[in-house]
Amino acid sequence: MSYIVMECHSSYAILLDEEGRFLKAANLHYEVGQTVYDPVLMRDKPEKRFRPVRWVTGGAAAIAACFLLVFGMNYYQGHMVSYSSIYLTINPEVQMNLNRQGEVLELIGTNEDGKILLEGYEGKGKDKVTVTDELIDRAIEMGFLSEGGQVSFSIDAPEEAVLSEYSKELESEVKRHLKNRLSITIEIIDRQTGDTETSTTENPGQSENRSSQATQETQSGENSSGVSQETGRESGQEQQSSAVQQETQAPQQQPQPQQVQPSEPAVYEDTDYGSDNDGITDYNQTAPQSQMPQTSEEEETDYEDDDDEEEDD
Amino acid sequence: MREGRDIIRQVEAARDDMQAADVFIRTYMPFIKAETAKFLRRPPVEGHDDELSIAMIAFHEAICGYSSARGAFFKYAAMLIKSRLIDYHRKEQRHSKVISLETPAGDDEEKALGDTLSDGKDHSEEMTVREATRKEIEELTEQMKEFGVSLTDVSDNCPKQERTLNACRKALNYARENPEIFEELLRTKRLPAARLCQGSGAERKTMERHRKYMVALLLIYTNGYEIIRGHLKQVMKGVTGR
Repeated sequence: MSYIVMECHSSYAILLDEEGRFLKAANLHYEVGQTVYDPVLMRDKPEKRFRPVRWVTGGAAAIAACFLLVFGMNYYQGHMVSYSSIYLTINPEVQMNLNRQGEVLELIGTNEDGKILLEGYEGKGKDKVTVTDELIDRAIEMGFLSEGGQVSFSIDAPEEAVLSEYSKELESEVKRHLKNRLSITIEIIDRQTGDTETSTTENPGQSENRSSQATQETQSGENSSGVSQETGRESGQEQQSSAVQQETQAPQQQPQPQQVQPSEPAVYEDTDYGSDNDGITDYNQTAPQSQMPQTSEEEETDYEDDDDEEEDD
Repeated sequence: MREGRDIIRQVEAARDDMQAADVFIRTYMPFIKAETAKFLRRPPVEGHDDELSIAMIAFHEAICGYSSARGAFFKYAAMLIKSRLIDYHRKEQRHSKVISLETPAGDDEEKALGDTLSDGKDHSEEMTVREATRKEIEELTEQMKEFGVSLTDVSDNCPKQERTLNACRKALNYARENPEIFEELLRTKRLPAARLCQGSGAERKTMERHRKYMVALLLIYTNGYEIIRGHLKQVMKGVTGR
């Protein structure tokens, strides 16, 4: 673009460009009538560019900051704060801290095996069921979980709805995940009340036998029948209930579950010492004995009783 | 404090009146030179250093763009001068690999490189054209005076937006198709804004606002001013293209 110098002043010159604009520019020793090609043009008044009143922009910024704060807090509460926890117990014990969305915030191995299980595993940000599936797979791979094993979920959630949702979700997911692969017992415990729910996964080999009682449910609060009646009801409800649940496994013809023996946890239920002492010494044998097949042996020898169940001193 | 207010008053006066601006700039020439010297690290030579001209136009910009919200005037002006000089310096650096024609040619130090080259242009012809252009411009300035318009006014009044510029061009085009408008302009010494708006479809407000610019543009397209008109070859291009 060429410019004709129209007028010269000491501090500026007026140029006419080819498009008919009259412009002011630095007077680089120009003469009137000269044609120039590379002038230093005077820029427009800068004030016009950022006239938009300051308080309007300031206000907009403040409102934006408020929004950010509100939504940021929401997001923080929803995603960053630990809201509920799931304690997964196979033999390795793993604690999962979840946010409101059910995503895993933190994974903690609460025993040695749990730490081993979590070694090299990154579960942060994943959904709880994904993490559960992956951890179960790892447990199977590492030999912690095998046919007939038990997986226990203890759920600690502040709301009843969340609790039931999580327990349903976990149960169905684990069942789906292990279907046709392994037959194990799933136990779901409400960590706050101690309510327990047990079910088993289906294995094609045993499905016919088990189809009728794939899921059995007992709640300690409502539990008015079965073994728990014989064991001291007044105290120790939580352990008692878990014992009941495990017992449901026993009648099956499954060859495996050693740890599902009914006798072991029941031991502490009716005791005349320890924290569960009911203050009354039971000289007579209590009901479980009558159920136990080994009752007669136990009466005679306490020493060989590996499940140190009865307290005949 | 009073001194500061005095300067602000002077700046405001200079903003509206180019004569006052020229006086103000001349008064504070030492300041402009000092700021340029800070940048050049040597005192600038008037009439030789382009930097001084840049600093002056920057000072001019400072006068136009200053408001009390920007703080003290001289600090603002110094900042503007410095940044304009930096801009200029960067722009010049692009040509730093080009050898100046002023450099001595070979061993003969008295002869500049430019003098040894024979450029295709005829210098005397160029000087003739320049002289003719100057005469045309003088004539135009004289004629504009009759309308009470100076070139500085026109440059202040010149449309900045492309859309406005196009509206003005359309009005000019309409005038060229209807030569009686030129006659009316010359006879009455007033811009026939109403007719131009009616004919070209431009807004009345646009015409009123850029009245001085329109006067200059129309005058250029009356008789004479062949050279300037030749220079303005792109003015009508935009209109016919639309």
